[in-house]
Amino acid sequence: MRIRSLPTQLVNQIAAGEVVERPSSVVKELVENCFDAGASQISIEIEQGGARLIKIRDNGCGIIKDDLPLALSRHATSKIASLKDLEQVVSMGFRGEALPSISSVSRLTLISRISDADCAWKVVADGSEQDFDPQPDPHPPGTTIDVRDLFYNTPARRKFLKTEKTEYVHIETLIKRMALSRFDIGFTLSHNQKEMLNLKPAATETEREQRIAGICGTAFIENSIKIDFAASGLQLTGWVGLPTFSRSQQDMQFFYVNGRLVRDKLVSHAVKQAYQDVLFHGRHPVFVLYLTLDPALVDVNAHPAKLEVRFREGRLVHDFLFSALHRSLADLRPGHGIIQQSATESPPQTQVVQNVGWQNDSATQQSTPGFDNKPVYSLRPPLPLHVEETVQAYASLYPKPEPVAQVQPEAKPLGHAIAHLHNIYILSETAAGIILVDAHAAHERVTYERLKQQYQNGAVPSQPLLLPIKIKVSAAEADLAEQEQAFFTSLGFELNRAGPETIVLRSIPALLGNTDMETLIRDVLADMAEHGMSRRIQEKSNEILATVACHGSVRAHRRLTIDEMNALLRDMEQTERIGQCNHGRPTWIELSTGDLDKFFLRGQ
Amino acid sequence: MKFIINREEILLPLQQIVSVIEKRQTMPILSNVLMVIEGDQLTLTGTDLEIQIIAKINIATADPGSITVPARKFLDICRLLPNGAEIKFELQDDKVKIASSRSRFSLSCLPADNYPEFAESELENHLFINAGKFKKALDKTVFCMANQDVRYYLNGLLLNVSNSKLKLVASDGHRLSIYEDNLDQPTGFESRIILPRKGVLELSRLLDDPEAELKVEFSSNNIRIFIKNLIFSAKLVDSKYPDFGKVFQQEFFNQIHIQKQFLKEALTRVAILANEKFKGVTFDISPGSLKMSTHNPEHDEAEEELVIEYTGEPLTIAFNAQYLLDAVSNLDSELAVLTIASNASSCFIDEPGDCGYKFIVMPMRL
Ligand SMILES: Nc1ncnc2c1ncn2[C@@H]1O[C@H](COP(=O)(O)OP(=O)(O)O)[C@@H](O)[C@H]1O
Ligand SMILES: [Mg+2]
Repeated sequence: MRIRSLPTQLVNQIAAGEVVERPSSVVKELVENCFDAGASQISIEIEQGGARLIKIRDNGCGIIKDDLPLALSRHATSKIASLKDLEQVVSMGFRGEALPSISSVSRLTLISRISDADCAWKVVADGSEQDFDPQPDPHPPGTTIDVRDLFYNTPARRKFLKTEKTEYVHIETLIKRMALSRFDIGFTLSHNQKEMLNLKPAATETEREQRIAGICGTAFIENSIKIDFAASGLQLTGWVGLPTFSRSQQDMQFFYVNGRLVRDKLVSHAVKQAYQDVLFHGRHPVFVLYLTLDPALVDVNAHPAKLEVRFREGRLVHDFLFSALHRSLADLRPGHGIIQQSATESPPQTQVVQNVGWQNDSATQQSTPGFDNKPVYSLRPPLPLHVEETVQAYASLYPKPEPVAQVQPEAKPLGHAIAHLHNIYILSETAAGIILVDAHAAHERVTYERLKQQYQNGAVPSQPLLLPIKIKVSAAEADLAEQEQAFFTSLGFELNRAGPETIVLRSIPALLGNTDMETLIRDVLADMAEHGMSRRIQEKSNEILATVACHGSVRAHRRLTIDEMNALLRDMEQTERIGQCNHGRPTWIELSTGDLDKFFLRGQ
Repeated sequence: MKFIINREEILLPLQQIVSVIEKRQTMPILSNVLMVIEGDQLTLTGTDLEIQIIAKINIATADPGSITVPARKFLDICRLLPNGAEIKFELQDDKVKIASSRSRFSLSCLPADNYPEFAESELENHLFINAGKFKKALDKTVFCMANQDVRYYLNGLLLNVSNSKLKLVASDGHRLSIYEDNLDQPTGFESRIILPRKGVLELSRLLDDPEAELKVEFSSNNIRIFIKNLIFSAKLVDSKYPDFGKVFQQEFFNQIHIQKQFLKEALTRVAILANEKFKGVTFDISPGSLKMSTHNPEHDEAEEELVIEYTGEPLTIAFNAQYLLDAVSNLDSELAVLTIASNASSCFIDEPGDCGYKFIVMPMRL
């Protein structure tokens, strides 16, 4: 066969193979175009999971009549003009590929009007990039793109579509994620003529939190802290879930780089490490985070669907993310207004404005007038009554604490101990309400943090090996081991190169006596090759210190005196990451007087 | 199958066998002891598939046959019967009936055919050794074996035979112990095998009679040792033992002589305030004096001073107190001799004069 140029439509269909995987990818490209057009309101209509219809309308800048054919042609874009532009691109699109690709595998109609034009113009396209014949249309300023019968002419692709429901869920998930990146834009989404989402533009903090609650569930907002960190030209803002509010899946993790939702290994690694010390085994943190940095420092042209990015200063970004998150988790202390709750895992709400629904059950138990009007207690199930009775019963066993609160001039965040309930929980009265502390869990964390500090502050004792351990690695890893000599030495290792692909371990940190050194060193080198750093050795040491701490902490069932309990509460106030024990279980919970009042229907 | 036996004749062999049988078993038959009667001999067998112990007992009244019974239950029954009791053992259908005086037991059992065969290759090498001598060799080395190390060959003991020379070595990578002795008869071969940790510990328990003569047979995969009426077999660790020769090729400081008992006591006291995970203790050695000191993360401190015999340059070195204590406790003499390599990279511990064994402990850098 001789070489020949392919017909334009086929070229576009080939490009579509990369960009247009399923209906949601069409939606993604089109909504990104709306973002770039400066729209403040976007409406998305879907029929039959997008296979029959995807119709997206915006009130953005529109396209001039003469540019319509170009918009539908390959490698034509209004967003960049040079390589320099590409290297610091701020728009969502820049490849000029989406419209021609989509039009080559569907029946696409584009209607657009710029604000000072007399009317809108409408063109139909099929990917061949010819015979455009603009027709006048009464469309208001903005753009509508109507995509019908996706993959009608590429049956092989059409076969890969999943059920209508599945395809729709993909679209809905996508819209929610995109909605979290642009609070200033209003979104409506309908499926088969039924309204599924209606998100108003969110200008204030409260409205923004409402949008997040609508998408991630109310519990997320209640169990997360807002963070805002900036350093070396990087800024990280958003919400991170408390370690106790973790999930079994990684499904509530949203990370945006300059407004673009990305999945990035470097990012997930940094996040995982930041949570490493506080998360229950096998659980995943939840977060909505926005990283803002100079667009020149991130390459967004790393993936045809723009799902991945490449940081030019990977190590810097990694360290920044790790330390920002690590600090905010370490700083979770009583008195920061962060109310701890048990790890409720409520599914994200699918409908935006929705009643929580539990009031009905409680209403059947209690018939106090006015009860069902207001949610009493957010998402938590009502406390069973006997807890309160127990509290009273125990309280009566003790002489009423002398008016401690008045005697102490300064209100302590964790308050003053009143009783050791069941020899397990410390009951403490605070200015704002009451606190229950799991004494063993809390003491364990206090001891653990102290041990870690002592270990980190001293020189690291090292144990030379009588039988040095030879480790076969790749030449690149051996180079890395040599380069990072100083790092290994500072942690108590003596590591030499013994050949092009061999390193020899001659000394190890004395604390790690019985660990599988070969695997540890291999893993550390792998981390370094991939992320430029590794905290594995510190994590291993921490694991050992954690077991020491666990054995050295007060056992449950030993009755503590009031003085001992108060001493523990004071220690807790000084301790980092005190919200969870070493195993990630919560150490304390608070019930505010407000909670208690609501509970007893006071003042309602 | 049927026999009558005196409690005293079966109790000890049964105890020796039961100790190799793992408590928790996925294969029920491995919790059982195999009992075979052939002629006037009762043979008991227990195994964990890595080690096997067979005991042979002569018996007067017996009907031949074979069966397997739950080992621990059978042992407990025999153990708790009174001294000198006559035990009657009889297989009836699928039950074993045990009777003694007024006690009656009926044990469920499994057929002997299903009992796993202990596969052994041909054992081409053999030697004879006195049990007392072999036991001493084990005692001086086993404490240095690693336990559950990923370098699995360290979870065992090197047995090196070189014609009439015998050498045993154990090391967990931080310390090493080496024992050398001569055999009464030359063997005419040279070989290095690694005995597995559990096998070594079991074997050492079986060597309770120092007068016994042992016959040792082995190949590169298996070892079998005849100990009076017992036959001990084990699979060997299939690996090469690492080369430790380099530790010996060094320059050393002058020997240090210390009263063993004083050293042990002082070390134990100082270690109270050492870091609880790695027990680091510093030695400041100068002519005539040894100062030990330690401190822990809580800033507690301890110090002891001992009179020693040493002439030479002052030196400072630190150890894991536990490693040093283990070594010193295994010395037979009153006096401990410490010889430290001149770059302070290792410390040899042995007796004054030639004792056939040596312990080596690596120092620590605090
Ligand atoms: N909703 C819209 N509003 C205004 N202009 C649009 C819209 N969608 C597409 N365009 C124009 O069409 C061009 C081509 O779009 P597209 O094929 O998605 O490529 P890209 O977004 O990479 O530039 C854009 O550069 C833009 O000028
Ligand atoms: Mg685009």
